[in-house]
Amino acid sequence: MLNVWVRIRRDSTATMFGSGIQLFLVGCLLLVPCAVAMPDSPAGPTDESGRRLPNFESIRVEPAELFLDARNREQGVIVTGMTASGEMVDLTHRVAYASSDPGIASASAGGQVSAVADGGAELTIEVGVKAAKVQVRVAGLATTRIPDFDNDVVPLLNRFGCNTSACHGKAEGQNGFKLSVFGSDPGTDYGALVMESRGRRLFVPEPDRSLLMRKASGDMPHGGGVRIERRSRAYQVLREWIAAGAPRSDPHAASVVRIQVLPNRRTIGPRGSQQLRVTAEFSDGRTVDVTELARFQSNNDALASVDERGIVVAGDAPGQVAIMASYMGAVDTFQAFLPRLEMLADVAPASEVNSIDTLVHAQLRKLNIAPAARCDDADFVRRAYIDVIGTLPTAEEARDFLDDRSAGKRRALVERLMVRPEFVDYWSQKWADILRVDRRTLGHKGAFAFYRWIHDQVARNRPIDEFFREIIAARGIIEQAPQARFYQVSGNAGDTASTLSQIVLGVRIACAQCHHHPFDRWSQDDYFGMAAYFQPLSRKATSRGELLVYAGGAKATNPRTGREIPAHPLQTPIPPAVADGDVRVQLAQWMTSPQNAWFARNVANRIWAQLLGRGLVEPVDDLRETNPPSNPELLDALARSFIEQKFDLRRFLLTITDSETYQRSAHPDQSNECDEQNYSRALLKRMDAEVLLDAVCQVSGVPEKFIGFPSGYRAIQLWDSEVDHYFLKLFGRPIRKSACVCERNMEPNVGQVLHVLNAPEIQSKLAHDGGRIAHWVETIQDDAAIVEQLYLTCYARRPTDEERTVALEFLAGVAQRDGNRSDFRRRAVEDLMWSCLNSLEFLFNH
Amino acid sequence: MKGTVGFCDGVARRDFIRVGCASLFGPAAYWSLPSLLGSAARAGENPGSADARSLIVVFLRGGLSTIDTWDLKPNAPAEFRGEFQPIATNVAGIEIGEHLPRIALQMDKFSLVRSFGHRNSDHGPADHYMLTGYHPLAGFNPGLSPNNQRPSHGSIIARQLGPRGSVPAYVCVPDVHPSGGAAYLGPASAPFSINADPNDPGFTVRDVLPPLELDPHRVENRQALLARVDRFQRTAESRANRGAKSVSVFRERAFQLMTSAEAKRAFDIHQEDSRLRDEYGRNSLGQSCLMARRLVEAGVRCVTVQHVDWDTHEANFTHLRRDLLPMLDGAMATLFRDLSDRGLLDNTLVLVTGEFGRTPRINNNAGRDHWGPGFTVALGGGGIQGGRVIGRSDARAEKPADDPYGPEDLAATVHRLLGIDPDGEFYTPEGRPVKIVNDGRMIRGLT
Repeated sequence: MLNVWVRIRRDSTATMFGSGIQLFLVGCLLLVPCAVAMPDSPAGPTDESGRRLPNFESIRVEPAELFLDARNREQGVIVTGMTASGEMVDLTHRVAYASSDPGIASASAGGQVSAVADGGAELTIEVGVKAAKVQVRVAGLATTRIPDFDNDVVPLLNRFGCNTSACHGKAEGQNGFKLSVFGSDPGTDYGALVMESRGRRLFVPEPDRSLLMRKASGDMPHGGGVRIERRSRAYQVLREWIAAGAPRSDPHAASVVRIQVLPNRRTIGPRGSQQLRVTAEFSDGRTVDVTELARFQSNNDALASVDERGIVVAGDAPGQVAIMASYMGAVDTFQAFLPRLEMLADVAPASEVNSIDTLVHAQLRKLNIAPAARCDDADFVRRAYIDVIGTLPTAEEARDFLDDRSAGKRRALVERLMVRPEFVDYWSQKWADILRVDRRTLGHKGAFAFYRWIHDQVARNRPIDEFFREIIAARGIIEQAPQARFYQVSGNAGDTASTLSQIVLGVRIACAQCHHHPFDRWSQDDYFGMAAYFQPLSRKATSRGELLVYAGGAKATNPRTGREIPAHPLQTPIPPAVADGDVRVQLAQWMTSPQNAWFARNVANRIWAQLLGRGLVEPVDDLRETNPPSNPELLDALARSFIEQKFDLRRFLLTITDSETYQRSAHPDQSNECDEQNYSRALLKRMDAEVLLDAVCQVSGVPEKFIGFPSGYRAIQLWDSEVDHYFLKLFGRPIRKSACVCERNMEPNVGQVLHVLNAPEIQSKLAHDGGRIAHWVETIQDDAAIVEQLYLTCYARRPTDEERTVALEFLAGVAQRDGNRSDFRRRAVEDLMWSCLNSLEFLFNH
Repeated sequence: MKGTVGFCDGVARRDFIRVGCASLFGPAAYWSLPSLLGSAARAGENPGSADARSLIVVFLRGGLSTIDTWDLKPNAPAEFRGEFQPIATNVAGIEIGEHLPRIALQMDKFSLVRSFGHRNSDHGPADHYMLTGYHPLAGFNPGLSPNNQRPSHGSIIARQLGPRGSVPAYVCVPDVHPSGGAAYLGPASAPFSINADPNDPGFTVRDVLPPLELDPHRVENRQALLARVDRFQRTAESRANRGAKSVSVFRERAFQLMTSAEAKRAFDIHQEDSRLRDEYGRNSLGQSCLMARRLVEAGVRCVTVQHVDWDTHEANFTHLRRDLLPMLDGAMATLFRDLSDRGLLDNTLVLVTGEFGRTPRINNNAGRDHWGPGFTVALGGGGIQGGRVIGRSDARAEKPADDPYGPEDLAATVHRLLGIDPDGEFYTPEGRPVKIVNDGRMIRGLT
């Protein structure tokens, strides 16, 4: 039912035209508005492959009527074709527009209608044999209207990038001209334009000679190049404003109340497109088309991108994307749903264990993606060990699990893993990373104490909400309250507030220190309201040791307005007075409350990402309305169960590992191989640096000795992220200098690959006299038994017949050439294990 | 706006725009997927010789005293001018310090910017400023490695130009400077660090060759086995997972590097004529410069040579005369001559600088201290006209006297000469656009 707009599948198109031609056609149709060409093709609109579209049941034009005036001189329409089965196809750039009276209103390709003179006209939109008509009324066009600084001039500075952080918006400005970033402070911008530089920037008698105009239009050399063409409407607006004496904004001028993106939700086929329009509603009730001035951003460019004109273009991969539009601090989102075209044949409904599966399957069905098969026991045992305890199963553990015939053995395995000491080590290391247990800042003793505290909490299965409350409200002698160490690494009050927001809520407020968050609701008042909680905090040396002191009077000053902001949580009104006492206690309650909109979602999303290889929200610490989850219902459900489980990490993990979704095979099929977003199959996850090093040690049977740690310590037990170790550094161990999970660098590089291939350290483990291979060769006579042991050790599975044959032939070949001496046999087994260590199946968790 | 948010790894999502699934995971990439896509996009727009261009940065860490080398002030008061006399060079009218006699004979191959300076006289931030073109912002922690808030010149070059041949795009010799990292350009643009001193008698580059104890036939066995054992390589798993696909690609590149005649030749400094090695100087700086030439010859885009010990707070003149300047003299003079003899100089830009200069006023320990406001940088090859002096410093070499240039201008000049648009933008993980060069202007008169 969804293949309405492309009748012929892409692959067959490619064979008919050659993919180059196909791409060319796509480029033409999507990127060059084609309405201009439409009159020459009376047959009607075509699809992305240049093929005729079907007849539509009806044509919808939005808005249904256009009112143009001096304020809203131009407006775009969106034309949608509705098929009999209810599909909606964007035709905005594929139809012809005609105005009944171009002297009143003219229409151009792409559905842009411009006022010419007062009066009424009718816009005709032809789609094949069908036509739609829209009434256009133009009134008050002649009204002389002086452009308003805040509402007309600043948006232009925004639109043309003058005030970005790369140009005049950066802290030190550019070439002596500084604007507030994203126009967050129009008052200052006005001063910069009108008063500074001895008034040279604006020249009222001859606006064209203003420095602003000459630089922006390229009349004078400008580091930023030509930004605003002389002939453009934008130039005209600036010119009119200057000519009128460059007035300060009327304090009573209407301001933007909200913006709205049209449409707000659509299904788009592969390589399909959708024009967006943005309308701003002002406080005086007027609405103005601001598409030209809005900024757009996709939260997943790989799935769908958006250009500056608001045209969304989908790629080939299925999924869900949010496109954010912003204008003058207001934001709205368009959600695109991108299903695969090919319908699924009658697939048997996949079985469902809990609501995770129900919600994932619901999404997959809509996307025409079939979930992968259930993974086999070998995949499961290896995956569960790595995900839950950061450790590979030994050959014996793997064999026991594979040979276990009991029902429910997968759940039982996870339960067993969660009581192992490695569980505590592994999850403590995760928390220590984002809480920044940093030896350089905290000192040896402090870092160790903080780590031990985290370790204790994990061991005691402290509910996550309590865990964070203890940290947020830490006080007293630091020696006795090791969680107070957090305040030694978290920096000043503002940094502490943004770090905690990011860790506990997944909300990034740091942008709002200097300006209104460009893609979120946070203002400087919000930022300083949070920073205020930590302003009274100080550390004092006492005879009993360093003391964390909270002075009370939690307030901070917004440096821009000079206003004093009492401490208050995000998204709550500024309280009239500053509260007494240590208000961090209330903050801790608010942050970790089940009612908090972010907390449960944030933690659930992080844990989900850890196990599934991708967060429902990505990046995991960037929860905001304009970056919605790929499956919102699923994130809600996860948060709900996490709350019901009283923030119990172990129970929550079990909920995830129980699900069929967690237990999918990594083996893709045609329907899901492009899907990395919707959990249709297990993603391959590169092992963490520490986990991989431990795995190499375990497989070879030769442990690593870390400087400053007793022998026997495994890498996942290291509490110090600065231990000098080439392998750990090379594989991206985080350095704990920020709260961002992105510090852990999972990106492969060639040095890593070379290291596993060639490092003498790894070779010496393989060849070690006390190592596993030496032991096998000594004690196991049967080559086939060695091969089985090898596969169980590296992959937690038995070799396939073919793999066994390859390995045995190799061993036999060596024996034939070099004699069946044990040293040759041993080297041959080393070579086999080396090839296992370097395989993707070993390096990745799958 | 371009609607782009970087991943935390710094790979701008824009790189993947309109790249369908098939091509995203398709046969690809050299050192990284992004650089491949970058270079594919570039192919059409940047024809000509730019493709063969390389950069060598000789970074004299601690701060070269340029009043004793490039910009002597014989008429300044004794507490400024120091002990050294100027000598003539092979370019009429240009004089340099007497302890650089061999460089004096190569003066026609490089030029001096004497009106250079910047506002930071602290090692860490000044390093960052010079190696990235960006003054560090608040919160800069020089103790980190890498400490980059902005990508180093080498990472920008690696990202924008991609690799050439079977060798990495950006290599650090003998190891990577803390400000030599890729910042938000991600590990794909990070340097390949030699991590060994080319002057060591047993010098080898780590991990590029199989362990010595393995017979060649075992190495072959292993690679053949790996191809058969690694089942994910053959199945859809690797195709459908970006990370796995990258590892596969990196493995191909690794094998290529391991078997690359160019790389092997380049890394094997022992093959070099021992007289030429002597000429470069049997010290870390000399042999690193020689390694830089070998790497550029093999196709590396950017080599950063870092050499420490230039922080001459005490006994400045003794250290310079006895140890440092003879090393620099041999290394730099031979580098220019050697590049020129091999026809590489026209395509190889060489930059020789410290993070700052040193105080013209001599301190009580016969030393000179940190001095950012005025110093000289040396640039040659890669399109630069040699034998010129750009700008001048004041009478005591304290500040530029005219036409002052700074690290932004140096960055603009370097990237422009390499064929990279300094006004291009990268995106930080927060989605902030940052220009490749922070508003610098090309240094006039060099080309």
